[in-house]
Amino acid sequence: MEFEKIQTIIADVLSIHNPEEITMDKSFKDDLGADSLDSVEIVMRLEEAFDIEIPDDAVENIETVGDVVEAIQKVKG
Amino acid sequence: MEKEYTTVVVDAMGGDNAPDAMIQGAVDAITKNAAVQVILVGREEVIAPKLEAYTFDKARIRIVNASEEISCDEPPVQAIRRKKDSSIVVGQKLVANGEADAFLSAGSTGAVLVGGQLVVGRIRGIDRTPIATLIPTDNGVSLLIDSGANVDARASHLVQFARMGSIYMEHVIGVKNPRVAIVNVGLEEEKGNALVKETYPMLKACADINFTGSIEAREIPHHGADVIVCEGFTGNVILKLYEGTANALVGMIKGGLMSSFRSKIGALLIKPALKKTLKSMDASEYGGAPLLGLKGLVIKTHGSAKAKEVCNSILQVPVFKEQEIVNKIKESLVPEAPERKEE
Repeated sequence: MEFEKIQTIIADVLSIHNPEEITMDKSFKDDLGADSLDSVEIVMRLEEAFDIEIPDDAVENIETVGDVVEAIQKVKG
Repeated sequence: MEKEYTTVVVDAMGGDNAPDAMIQGAVDAITKNAAVQVILVGREEVIAPKLEAYTFDKARIRIVNASEEISCDEPPVQAIRRKKDSSIVVGQKLVANGEADAFLSAGSTGAVLVGGQLVVGRIRGIDRTPIATLIPTDNGVSLLIDSGANVDARASHLVQFARMGSIYMEHVIGVKNPRVAIVNVGLEEEKGNALVKETYPMLKACADINFTGSIEAREIPHHGADVIVCEGFTGNVILKLYEGTANALVGMIKGGLMSSFRSKIGALLIKPALKKTLKSMDASEYGGAPLLGLKGLVIKTHGSAKAKEVCNSILQVPVFKEQEIVNKIKESLVPEAPERKEE
C-alpha cells in the first residue's frame, strides 16, 4: 500500500505542510489537530483514492494514522 | 462562455414540494435574470418530462442525473458517505469542482450541512459552519446566526459566527458597521448561561466587529441589532417561534377583519396597505439562508419552500458571487491560514 498517498491526502485535508510529519503513531485529534468532520473527510478522500468502502464501525474506532492504514489494509485484504 | 453566467445547482429532489417547485422556481429565475443558468440535479427520468412542460431558454437549464435521494430521517454523515450518487452529493461536487457557483437545496438540513462541510469543504480555520438566516423586523432585516446548524457550540464558535455575520451584513445587505449582539436573557454583562457569559467578553474584545452587547428576544422584531448571534438551538427556537407567531397573528387579523359586515368594509380599505406590510414580513421574499464558512456557496431553503422561494433563493446567488462573500470571509477570518491545495 502506498503510505505516501495516505500522507498526501491527510496533509491536504489538514493543511499540513510537510506530509512526512504524518507518521503511524500520530493521533488525528491530539497530534494533528483534526476534528470529527476532518476525520470523516479524510476517510472519504481515502475511500475515493483507493476505490474502497471502509465499514462504519471501523471508522468509529479510528484514532491514529496507523488505525487508518490498518482499516484500509483490512478492506483491501 | 459559461463564465459569463452565474450557475446555480438546484437539488430537484429535496423538499416537500420537490421536484415541481424546484423546476418552476428554476424556470422563473432564469426568466427574471438573463445572466443566471440552472443545473437541476436529481432523477432525470422524473425531472425531464416535467421540465418539458415549460417554455424557457433551453440553453440555460440542464439536468444532471443523480439516482439516489437522501431523506430527512437518515443519519447525515452516513448518508453523505454512502449515497455518492444522491442529488446532494452530486450537486455539491459540481460546486466543489468549480462547475457551478452555488448549490441550493430544500432537502435534509443535516445532509446539506454535512455535505457542505465534507464535499464542498470548510474554509481552513473555520470550526463550525452556521446557517445565516435573514429575518424581517419593523425596520429592515436582521441576520440570525446560527439559526439551526449547530445545536451545541463553544464560545470560540460564536465569535466566528459574529465575524462572519458581520461581513455578510456589510457586504451582501449593505449595512455599514453592523451592530452585533448576543442573544441573552438580560442586558447586563453578568446575565446569561455559561456559554453566553464566556462569549460576551470575547466578543467585547473583538476590534473588528461592532459588538453592542446582549439582546433580549423581544427586541429582535424591533431591529435591536443587525447581527444576532447564538448557537443553533436557540437560533432555531427563535426562528420557529417568529414564524409561528407571525402566522398566528396574520390569521387572527384576517379572522377579525372578516367577522362582521363593518369590519369587511374596513378590510377592503386597508387591504393594499396591509398587503404591502405583510409582504415585508414574508420569509419567502428573502430566499434561502447560506451556510457560511464553506469554500463554496451552499444555500438552504425551507423544506416547505414553494416555487417563489426557490426562485428568490436562486436570484440571491449573483449578489453573493459579485460580493465574493466566500473570499471576504476567508481573508478576514484566517489571513494566516494556508489554503488547501486544489485537486
